Parts: sequence; structure tokens; C-alpha cells
Amino acid sequence: MRRYLISRLLQGGLVVFGVTVVVFVATRMIGDPVNFILPLSASLEQRERLRADLGFDRPILVQFWDYITDVFTLDFGTSTKFTNEETIDVVFRFLPKTLQLVAAGMFVAFVVSLVLGMLSAVKPGKITDKLLVMLSLIGLSMPQFFLAQVLIVLFSVRFGWVQIGPGPWTHMILPAVALALPAIGRLAMTVRSAMIDELNSQYVKAAKAKGMRRKRIVAVHALRNASIPFVTLAGWEFIRALAGFTVVVEGVFGLNGMGSLAILAIRERDFFLIQTIVLVVAVMVVLINIVIDLVYKTVDPRVKLG
Amino acid sequence: MRRHVKVVALALVLGLGAVACSDDDGGSTTDTQATEETTGDTAAPVQGGDIIIALGSEPTSLDPQLVDDGGERAINDNVYETLLVRNAEGELEPGLAAELPTQVDDTTWEIKLREGVKFHDGSDFNADAVVATVTRMVKLIADGKTDNDGFFKSFTGAEAVDATTVRITTADKDGVVPARLYWMKIIPAAAGESADLSESVVGTGPYKLASREKGVNVVLEANADYWGGAPNIDKVTYEFIDDSATRLAGLKSGKYQLITNLAPQDSGQAPKTATAQGQEHPVLILDADDGITADVNVRKALNLAIDKEAIAETLFGGFAVVDAGQLLSPSILGHNESLTAYPYDLEQAKTLLEEAGAAGKSIQLIGESGRWLKDKELLEAVAGYWKEAGLDVKLEILEFGAYLDVLFDRENRADAIYVSSSNDILDPDRQLSTYYQAGGIGSSNTDQALSDLITAGRAELDAEARDGIYQEAVKIAYDNAYFVWLVNNQDIYGTSENLVWTPRVDSKLLVKEMSLG
Repeated sequence: MRRYLISRLLQGGLVVFGVTVVVFVATRMIGDPVNFILPLSASLEQRERLRADLGFDRPILVQFWDYITDVFTLDFGTSTKFTNEETIDVVFRFLPKTLQLVAAGMFVAFVVSLVLGMLSAVKPGKITDKLLVMLSLIGLSMPQFFLAQVLIVLFSVRFGWVQIGPGPWTHMILPAVALALPAIGRLAMTVRSAMIDELNSQYVKAAKAKGMRRKRIVAVHALRNASIPFVTLAGWEFIRALAGFTVVVEGVFGLNGMGSLAILAIRERDFFLIQTIVLVVAVMVVLINIVIDLVYKTVDPRVKLG
Repeated sequence: MRRHVKVVALALVLGLGAVACSDDDGGSTTDTQATEETTGDTAAPVQGGDIIIALGSEPTSLDPQLVDDGGERAINDNVYETLLVRNAEGELEPGLAAELPTQVDDTTWEIKLREGVKFHDGSDFNADAVVATVTRMVKLIADGKTDNDGFFKSFTGAEAVDATTVRITTADKDGVVPARLYWMKIIPAAAGESADLSESVVGTGPYKLASREKGVNVVLEANADYWGGAPNIDKVTYEFIDDSATRLAGLKSGKYQLITNLAPQDSGQAPKTATAQGQEHPVLILDADDGITADVNVRKALNLAIDKEAIAETLFGGFAVVDAGQLLSPSILGHNESLTAYPYDLEQAKTLLEEAGAAGKSIQLIGESGRWLKDKELLEAVAGYWKEAGLDVKLEILEFGAYLDVLFDRENRADAIYVSSSNDILDPDRQLSTYYQAGGIGSSNTDQALSDLITAGRAELDAEARDGIYQEAVKIAYDNAYFVWLVNNQDIYGTSENLVWTPRVDSKLLVKEMSLG
């Protein structure tokens, strides 16, 4: 187990390093940050001077070496957009909102999809099943930005139930739902088909023959086996949400999270901020992947780690 | 139990169905509120009340001297004050100064200060505060720590003559000084040595900072001891919503009383809109020296071929007026009343192009998408008009970074480059030296006479004489058709029914001028 963790962490380190290199090169290709920091009417000399001040006039390899050595001393660079602020502080300021959103959205998605998936698997082809398939299709096919705006128009403008922008905890309800619905579409269908397979398997028939209560068969025996594909997909959903797919929801609801920050950083060519965002996200993704492996092991003791 | 869950599932599905079927703007009910312009003389203002304003972007700092940032200005314009202010017509008037500045010699300006004004921390506003402000700005510029050097780099220092008289010196003769003083927010004397004032926001203005939660909001509360009398609104909260549709939804839901940058196509949806003739002028810079546009008749034809009225009416939904061929709004010094926009005359354009041997030739049109209001649509419209006039238009809509490389390329000027010019300090110098003057970073002509006038205008200290010089300069550019002038956009705000406010030509959101009706 320990050996497994060490090797996974080393692999993760490599992944993070690779991502850092790619992002470093990519940011240097998207244009000159100086032109974005200064107003259009700034003079050429002014631009040259700022370029030198920020160190962007040096060879790219020198810049990269400086960046890497700085990162090892936990110096992630100063933001150019957020004057006089360390990029890591900016990222940690925006991160909680995204974590809240992902946590709330994924909680809703996991609970709802498990319940709906099970319900429809118990009686495939019946009304609940058909409704579920329809719901999944709606969740899957409606673009998130549209879904989010529909939610705003209905629940904020028309009914006035929840407010837009920052406010009490209720302002997270609509974003969480908007984030959860497409995930519910995918997850519930997975639960459903896995559950149908399990309910048709020999051990379920044996349990039925033995006279075991149906609820117990479904909720304990079959669910545990059916949850293996669910964990795979749920982990993927979680990582996907964290790694940037909250952008749309954050944008439409005006939440200042990592997605909004990433857009801002790219739009303003804040190179160090982009690098820090990607670095933090990459580290999170690596860690969550390890956690998912551990969850596998708990759900299915046959899985061997390492 | 199972039945219960079924009911929940059914409700969810039905709910979603309802959502899916309802259309975006909820067409059926009360969407017919008429758009009306605010006029200053509506119902008598009510004393008190709180408002929430939704801005497009959060300030990246609250230091009034470090950044050049719309979010920062929207808030700090209420907290800090300047020596001079602009009235409703855009003319300069004394603010923290007791009277307009006078010249001691060519590079020294003397300013008498208003007495009895105090900063929010209780310290006195006096000559020391002004000296600290100028000294700090000069140092920030020398150290390359501020984005504001374009506004203040001509300042060399300041000294106190007595407690209420101060002298500011400049490197060269600088006629823009009064406009610069309108832009320079005065900080307390004690803040002069600070590296970053973002955490210590202390001004003399009608509002003081109550709280700031980064990423969430900024709250200001009325300064009861304000020298100009306590303002109407007690408390103003700023929230930051990037998406204009979401700002509008927040306005419609009643949460916000004022939103900025309402999209023209959404104006009918807002409870009320308020507009002001702003300073934004989309324009096409023509290469006067090389290529197809080197011929003045071709440049005139390019102007004549475009229906500016139609662009203002359809593309900008009526929230724009035709630019009278000069890039300067009427509220700006140097605006030349005698100029009128090139008319839309397709036949004349065709004739001129044929006479110049340019018919059927190709012309580059370079622009970008997403930075300015309706930029891509505007470029496509222009390309369409020029095609109709018989040109082979090579329209290139570039990513912003690549676009800037073209705009700033001093070696090879593209035939026509789109840019949207704005004017923060309402002085013509910056616009003209950037786009009109030979060698300016966005300029495509080498007209020495024009360049000399712009230099002379900068060094002229008398405002009336400056006005005359600039009027002459913009006329030269107009006669030579160095640009294709298009429109002058209006600033569009959405407000709640009960907000009484008239937007300003300088686009400042001064809460002291607002009240709830």
C-alpha cells in the first residue's frame, strides 16, 4: 500500500511537471502580456520598459528555468492583473467558491442519479424508467449555458425565489443544479444499466429463491456491485467539474471561482496566474485520482493496488 | 416509501419539462415595459436608501494611483476626489481646488485649495496632501510601478506655498495639466510613502469604504461630514458580474438598482435605461502612405461607401450617433462644430474608386472580435459596404494579441485597421497623439503639418487657443480622410424604476448624484 502511494505520487509529480511545461510554452505563444496590461495608447518605450521589468524580454529557456526554480521554493510569481498580489493567494481566494460549487453540484448529482437509477432498474420499461430516460436525455442534450439561463429566468426573475450574485447560501442552489443536471443524465443511465445487469445475475436469483427481501437485495447486494462503474464515472465527473467544466456555470451565475479566474487570466494574458491555476488544478486532479483508486479498493476488495 | 420517491421523480421530470418549454425571456407576461430615458427632473428625490450596483469587473486593486482599471474607478470615484471636476457638459470646474489653476510660468501651475475639507480618517486636506499625491505618483512612474504613467508622466513634482496653495511643475509646457488634475485622485499626506494603498482606502469623497470582501463585493457608506453636504444614498454595494445577461437578470429580479454596459439588444428588457453620449469611437485607420489607400480619393470613397446612419440604427440599436468625422465627442475640447460626417453616397464612392483606378482592387481590413461592442459585426458590415462599392475586401478578424501586433507594427501599416478609441480624461491630446500624429503608436500617416499642430496643442497653455489648434488639426485629418469615421457609441445603463440619475458624459458613476424616487 505504501509502495503504491509512493509510486502514484511520483507519477503524479511527473504529470504535474509535464503540464507545467506545456502551459508555460502555451502561454508564451498566446501573445505579449505587456500589450494587455497597458492601455492601447501607451507608447512603445513604455511597453519596452514594462516588458523588461516583468522579465518577458529574456530568452524563454531562462524564463522557464527561473520559473521552475521559483516554484520549488513555493514562489509562484506575482499577478500582473491583480496588482501586487501573489498568484497563489489569488488562486486560493477564488478556489473555495469552485470547491463549494463542485461539492454541492456533485452531491446532488450522485444522490439523485443513484436513487433514480435504482428506481428505474427495478422495473425496466415501466413509467419511472421511461421518465428517467427522458430526464437523462434532457439533462444531456441541453447546453449548460442555456440551462443555467433558463434556471435564472425562472427562479430568480420570474419567481424571485433565489437571488443572483453573491448572497446567502441559497445563491448556490441554482448553480449546483445547473452543474448537476448533465451529470445526472450520464450517471443515472450508468446506474440503471449496471443495476439491471446485476439484478439479472445468478446471485440475485439465488437470493430471491432464498426468500430474501427485495429491498435488501437491491439496496445492499446488487447496489454494491453496480456501484463499481458508478464510482469510475462519478470520479470522472468530479474531476471534470474541478478541472474547468464549471466555467460556464460560474460565468452565467456570476460566481467568482476558478473558472471565472481562468478566463480572466487568459483574457488579460496574466501568465503567472494561468500557470498557477493550472498547477493547482493539476495537483488536485492527481490527488483525487489516487483517492478514487482507494475508493475502488473499498467498494471492490478484488481490486489490487500497486 | 417507493411511491413517495416516484412522486419526487415525477415532479422533477415535470419541472424540467416546464423549464425546457418556457422560452428565454418568458414572452407571455409583463415584458412590455417601455424604455424611457431618465431625465433629471422626475419625482422629488427621497432622502436615504441603499442601492446595489452590478459592475462588469472587480477592481484589481483599490489603490487610486497604481492601476488603470474601470472597476477601481467606478468605486474610487466616490471615495477619492480630484482638484478639478467636470460638469454635465464636460467642462472643467474646481473640485478640491478653490478655483481653476493659474500659471506661474511655462512649467509651473499654482492651485488654490478648498479649505475645511477633511479626509475620512480625520486628517486635513491641504497642500501637503497634494504634494504627497504628486510626489508618490512621480515616484511610482519612475519605478515603473503604475499603469498611469500615460496620464501623469509630464509631472516632475509639487511644492506647498502655504497650507492652501500648491505649485505643480511639469517637464515641458503642458496644456493638458488641467485635464490631468481632473484625473488625479488626492490621497492623504500620510499615505505618500505607501507602496500599496489597496488596503487603506482613505479619501475626501462623499462615500467611505465600509467593507471589501474580495471576490464578493465592496460596500461604501455615506460620509456624513462630506464638505459638499451628505449624499442621498446611505449605502452602496458593488457586485461584479461578468456576463451582461446575468447583470440584466439581476436588475429584472430587483436585486440591482444599476447595471453597466447593458447590451443594445437587451435595452427593451430593462425596467428603465439611461444613456449618455460617451467617448467610445470605433474608427478605421487608413494607411495614407502606401498601398491602395495612399490615394486621398480612395480614402474619401471608403468613407462615402459606408452608411453610418444604418450602422448606428441597426447594429447599435440606435444607441450611437454618427461620428462627425473627428474622433472627438462634442464634450471634448477641440471638437470641430463645422465638420459633418461624410455622407453615404455609393455612386460617388464608385466613381472616385474608378477614377483612382482602384475599382476591383483588393484592400486589407484588419480587426478583432470580442474586445469592443459589436466589433465583429461592425467589421463585417464595413466589408459588405466596401464590396458593394467594388472593392475586393480581405477582412481578417484576428485574435486580440495578433491584432495588436498589426496595430502596433510601425514598419508595415495595413491598409485599414479597426480600433475603438475611448477617451478617459476628456482631453484630445492622448487620442490625437496616439492615432493622428505621425509616429503615434496607432497612426498611419506622416503628415508633418498635422503632427506639428498636435505638438503645439500639447504645449499651448491657454485652453481657448488649444481648442483652436485642435479644431484645425481634426479638420486637416478630415480633409485628407486619414480615417474612416463611423459612430460614437452611447454608454447604456440599466436602472431600476425608482433610481433617479442622469449618466455623465465622462462615464463616472457618482453615487452622490443618485437618489431613489
